[in-house]
Amino acid sequence: MEIIEAFTTSIQSVWLDSGFAAFTGGNFIMILVGLLLLYMAIVKEYEPLLLAPIAFGCIMANFPCTGFLTEPGVMQLIHYGIQFEIFPPLIFLGVGAMTDFGPLIANPNTLFLGAAAQFGVFVSLAGAMALGFTAQEASAIGIIGGADGPTAIYMASKMAPNLLGAIAVAAYSYMSLVPLIQPPIMKLMTSKEERSVKMDQLREVTKFERVVFPISAAIIISLLLPPVAALISCLMLGNLFRESGVTDRLSDTSQNALCNIVTIFLATGTGMTMNAENFLTVQTIEIILLGLLAFAGGTAAGVLLGKIMCRLSGWKINPLIGSAGVSAVPMAARVSQMVGQKANPSNFLLMHAMGPNVAGVIGTAVAAGTMMAMLAK
Amino acid sequence: MGTQVSNPVVIMLINMTIVFAVLFVLSLYIRLIHKIDPTAEAATRIEPEEDDVEESAPVATKPVVQEGIAGETVAAIAAALASVGVGFSQVKAIRVAPRPGWGNVARSEGLTSLKMRR
Repeated sequence: MEIIEAFTTSIQSVWLDSGFAAFTGGNFIMILVGLLLLYMAIVKEYEPLLLAPIAFGCIMANFPCTGFLTEPGVMQLIHYGIQFEIFPPLIFLGVGAMTDFGPLIANPNTLFLGAAAQFGVFVSLAGAMALGFTAQEASAIGIIGGADGPTAIYMASKMAPNLLGAIAVAAYSYMSLVPLIQPPIMKLMTSKEERSVKMDQLREVTKFERVVFPISAAIIISLLLPPVAALISCLMLGNLFRESGVTDRLSDTSQNALCNIVTIFLATGTGMTMNAENFLTVQTIEIILLGLLAFAGGTAAGVLLGKIMCRLSGWKINPLIGSAGVSAVPMAARVSQMVGQKANPSNFLLMHAMGPNVAGVIGTAVAAGTMMAMLAK
Repeated sequence: MGTQVSNPVVIMLINMTIVFAVLFVLSLYIRLIHKIDPTAEAATRIEPEEDDVEESAPVATKPVVQEGIAGETVAAIAAALASVGVGFSQVKAIRVAPRPGWGNVARSEGLTSLKMRR
């Protein structure tokens, strides 16, 4: 009898200590959300490199009683990497090493397209404030329109840590949906004649320009906007590794090994912010809708300025490259190429669209910096 | 720490202006780099020289043929290259390539399957 009693007590104790006892309906729903995201990553192949670890992180975040975020360990370390904005600049280091700034240097006018595409960020900011979010929260929500995951996480960590999960998920979801969201807006805003415009080949950019640009851009922007100095400096440092010609090993590490490792940590850590208590709120739905508004607004504003530049240049600029001003590199540039080639099969816009695309990365970081300087408490 | 502005439209206008201004300054700076680029002139000066080199008659060099390769084999290779528009003077050397184990296996498998199909 005593043995049975001891056995029952032990079983009860194991049950009470287990996650099942503390498992809530919210956790169940969030695990389903995680499974849905995993399905989209693995079966539908929507940005699987990001979505798969985010989805798994989301599932892990909803295991009760793990102490992932409260007890020292690898999970808490990953969380610190996000909380203290360590991972986004490291991702930017890889992005810089992977990206050719040549098209931007060859045609600096494309910087304006990158600036115009930030319009969506500020429209969304205004919308979020109208819905009752604070100015700080609204600025973090608005940056989703830049379609720049690392900057969105960087901004959310600084301005609205409570909304980090929803903002990160919205930003990465819209990044992966660029090929679905942008083309209808681009087609709606342009005529077939405009989409068919062929652009002249870009001039050759010398090594001197390629090396001097990242160094001087880092100095100018960092001095002007210190809150985003880490992001911009890492972006430019990565690009300098690429272009200097003497740091091939560092460039290779930045764009491959380091970027992949940090992506695993950043994406898993982002997913781990999606616990039921923080995520299953009306605010999350509002953020996702505002993110869509921001993204669509940015695309439309980029194309609109592209149309104006097309007229001013005497039909030498294809307005479609304006949509690449949102900074999803290089996906947005590929979409410009795809839509342009549908209108005119002999049209090659990819390199031309890379200019506004890179400008978009810089523009989103600048927008984040101005908002941080203006609105940070 | 920034001053607290609460009007969303004002925030929008101020920020949009700053973003355009910063990127405008950057575009001016890119143009300045292009203007002061000391290598640009040298690069354009080198170009005609490169053209000259291209225009001069190519020096026909005899390929180095490994010992043991028959003259017929060299002739067959020359004919095959000529048929695809490659001049024999562009060939540096003709030698027997090392055959790694997996290559031999693949080749024998290919031959076997070809025989079976026949």
